[in-house]
Amino acid sequence: MTTLLPTVEGAADDELAEALRFCARGERAGLQLLYDRLAPKMTGVALRMLRRRDLADEVVHDTFLRIWEKAGSFDPARGKPTSWAFAILRNTALNLLRGEGRMELVGDFEAIEPASEEADAETLVMALSEASALRRCLDRLEPARRRAILLAYMRGLTHGELAGRLGVPLGTAKAWIRRSLLTLRECMT
Amino acid sequence: MSADERDRLASEYVLGLLEPEEMRRCEERLARDAGLAVQVELWRARLAELDATAAPVTPDPALWPRIDAALAAPVPKAARPAPVRPSRLAAWWESLSLWRGYALAASAALLLLAIGTVQLARQAAQAPVLVAVLLSDQNQPAAVVNAFRDGRTELLALSALKAPEGKSLQVWTLWDRERGPVSVGLLEAMRNVELSVEGLPRPAAAQLYEVTLEPAGGSPTGRPTGPILMKGNASPTEVGI
Repeated sequence: MTTLLPTVEGAADDELAEALRFCARGERAGLQLLYDRLAPKMTGVALRMLRRRDLADEVVHDTFLRIWEKAGSFDPARGKPTSWAFAILRNTALNLLRGEGRMELVGDFEAIEPASEEADAETLVMALSEASALRRCLDRLEPARRRAILLAYMRGLTHGELAGRLGVPLGTAKAWIRRSLLTLRECMT
Repeated sequence: MSADERDRLASEYVLGLLEPEEMRRCEERLARDAGLAVQVELWRARLAELDATAAPVTPDPALWPRIDAALAAPVPKAARPAPVRPSRLAAWWESLSLWRGYALAASAALLLLAIGTVQLARQAAQAPVLVAVLLSDQNQPAAVVNAFRDGRTELLALSALKAPEGKSLQVWTLWDRERGPVSVGLLEAMRNVELSVEGLPRPAAAQLYEVTLEPAGGSPTGRPTGPILMKGNASPTEVGI
């Protein structure tokens, strides 16, 4: 028998799932609860991807409208509410990064010293819990390949942009990413 | 698509590395390929910790009001009135300019009335009149029971509790000590379920709901025999009974 005691995280997930059911029924108190719980972290994630506060706010705005529209399609059997909501946030941010405003954003990227990105990637790993399987498995990757995975995820860089950052040909960047993801999967399964 | 190919697609999709065309195809495929959907979910779970490391940023105080206002704009689908189509009747109205102002006002009023009625009906049907939070013996919320005005009663699971081999979880309600607890549901694992309350009196405030562990198939005596796993009493909501 599994324990009756939900973990703190489990309880929070239940609360968020319930809030999504409210949204699906058209009750906006549900969306407000999700906003209160998730918006600060979402703004942080969006800011890390887009580097501009106005764009991050825009992405969070659009994300909550999408959550409201799609709440009825959330299926707790398929994943956690946070994972579902952050996937919407990431997709919204990626669309913006890959969309029209992209040239403007690339300029911002170029202004960032590669060294600081490297430092960012390492700081990110350090921020993961010591007990985290993800951290243990990222540590198994060569530093340049680890950086590629982290930059792709937290900055939303494309294969081409990663190749540029890492100073390797596009094919090599793709192969690195592919191999690294395989290593991660094997390590985390 | 091989398992490895599917996993590659899932991982690169979650990382945001697919080209726009490949991304579109992947999203189409996700809707019909349950295996791919599971891989995507696994990758999201694996990488979710990275999002958790982002420093929280207090959102702009003007942001929520903007979102709230954007929600207000479209009428919810269920309440959206059918579009008014010009009909022969309308043409006839049009021809009588004297009537026109009155007709517009009247149909606008009817429309408002229709929207109002639908919304009221929806709210009444959706909001429970009684809610019971069932607590475990550790005082943790383990389930919620919602009773609606029409008598419908549902149990929402908050824990993933499963009955061990050879056992079942049985849901009971008690409103009258003379009559004793009555079984309203039998489960192998906690999940959201409509309770079988046909023929029972309408639920009342303080009515007890509980879940006990019973032999597989339910208590042989028709009364709870095993330990109480969770219980709670119903309280009226602001909707009123």
